[in-house]
Amino acid sequence: MPPVGESWRDILAPQAIDLAMLVLFMAVALTSFFLKSKRLKYTSLVFAVGYMGFMKSHLISVVDIFGVIARDLPVVKYNITYYIFGVFVVASTVLWGRLYCGRICAFGALTQLMDAILPSKLRVTVPRTIEQRAAWIKFGLLAFVVVYFIATRNLLVYQYVEPFWMFSLFGTTPMWIGLGVLLVATVFVRNLYCRFLCPVGAMLGVISNLTVFKIKRWSECKTCKICEKTCEWGAIRGPLIVKTECVRCDDCERLYMDQKKCPHWLIQLKVRPSAPKPAPAVPSIQA
Amino acid sequence: MKRAFLAVALATRIVTNPNPSAELKQLFPNAATFSALTGDPLHFTAYAVDPKLNASAPPIGYAFWTTDMVPEEHGYHGPIHILVGLDLKGTITGAIVDYDSEPYGYFSVEPPKFAAQFKGKTIRDPFVVGRDVEAVSRASISIASATRAIRDGSRFAASKLLPPEAVK
Repeated sequence: MPPVGESWRDILAPQAIDLAMLVLFMAVALTSFFLKSKRLKYTSLVFAVGYMGFMKSHLISVVDIFGVIARDLPVVKYNITYYIFGVFVVASTVLWGRLYCGRICAFGALTQLMDAILPSKLRVTVPRTIEQRAAWIKFGLLAFVVVYFIATRNLLVYQYVEPFWMFSLFGTTPMWIGLGVLLVATVFVRNLYCRFLCPVGAMLGVISNLTVFKIKRWSECKTCKICEKTCEWGAIRGPLIVKTECVRCDDCERLYMDQKKCPHWLIQLKVRPSAPKPAPAVPSIQA
Repeated sequence: MKRAFLAVALATRIVTNPNPSAELKQLFPNAATFSALTGDPLHFTAYAVDPKLNASAPPIGYAFWTTDMVPEEHGYHGPIHILVGLDLKGTITGAIVDYDSEPYGYFSVEPPKFAAQFKGKTIRDPFVVGRDVEAVSRASISIASATRAIRDGSRFAASKLLPPEAVK
C-alpha cells in the first residue's frame, strides 16, 4: 500500500502551472502600475478577467476574511498559490493602497472593461454628496457580514453580498437575478459595486490607511480641479486623496506627468520661461 | 467582553451526524448490524451476522469519518466530513459527503456524483485529481482536499484496522 501522505514532488508538481501563471499575472499588473501604461493596464485587466476570473475563479472574498477570523484556512503546502496571492494583496495594499481593486480583482477588472467598451452617454454622474455617502455603505456591509458570520458561522452569506462567484459559473436563480441587476446598474453607474458595496474593498480600504508610497500632490492641487473631475472613483476631494476610495488607477498620476494639462507645469513654465527644467517638487499633501 | 468575543470567534463548529445508520446501510447493504463508533482510531464495524447471535462471526468491513482519520486535512474552510466504507481487502465500498463548509461546496463535493466515483477504488489507487478523480475547475481546493481525505483516511484506516496481508 502506498504510504499515507505524499512526497514533496507530489505536493508541488500539481501547483507549478498555477504558480507560474500567478507570478506572470502579478508581474504584468505591477509593470502596468509602475510604468503608468494605459495599454499594459488594459492587458492586465483582460488577464484578470480571463485567467484569474473565468479560468481560476481566484479572487479575494469575504470568505477569506471569515477564514482569518475563524482561523480556518486551507492547508498551506497544498495551496501555495492561494497564500502567495493573499500575501501579495495585503502587502500591495500596505505599500500602495487598493491596487488590488484597481487591476487585480477580476470583477473590478470586468466592470472597468465594461466602462471602457460601453458608450459613455449612458453613464449617470452621481452627485458628489451622494457619492461620498454611498462610499460608506461598503463599510456597513463589511461590519454586517463579519457580525453575521461570527454569530451564525454561515459563510454562505457571501452569495448575497458579492458577485465573485459568477466566475465559477454556478449560482442559484436568485443569485443570477441579483447579478443581472448589479451589472445593468453598472452600465449606468461605473464601478458601482467596487465604490459603494464591496466588503473586501472596504477591508482593503481600512488597510490602505497604512499606505507607504502615496500619490504625490502639488501645491497647485489645492485649487486645481482637473484630477478631481477626472477621478472615476470619487477619491479626490480638493487637495486630498481619500485613501479608502483610491484604487491607484493612475489617471491622476498620468495627468501630473502631462506638462500640457497639469497647472503645476504650466505655472512653472510661465513663471520661468527660460528654465527648461521644472523646480523640484513641493512637499506633498495627503489625506 | 473581549474574552467573550474571542470565545465566540474561536468556537469550533459542532457538526457531526451522531447516528449515520442510513448512511452505513448505504455503504454496506449486506450488513446485518453495525458496531457503535468506537476504537482507536474511531470506526464503525460492519457485520453480516449480528455478533450477539454468533460471537465468532467475522466483520465484513469498516466505516469511518475522514475527520477522525485525518483531522489535519482542511479544505477551503475547515474539514469536509466524509463517511467512508472499507472492505477487508482495502476496497472502498462507498463514500458519503455528510457535511462541509466549503464556499463552492454546492457544485464540487456536495453533488453525489463526486463521492460516487470513489466506490470500488482501492487503497492502492493513485487518487490524483484530473487523472482518476474528476477535476472541477474553479473549485480545486475543495475537490483536492476531499480526495486527500478519502485517500489518506482510507490508507490510514487500512493500516490500523485491516489484517497486514491486506495492506501490503
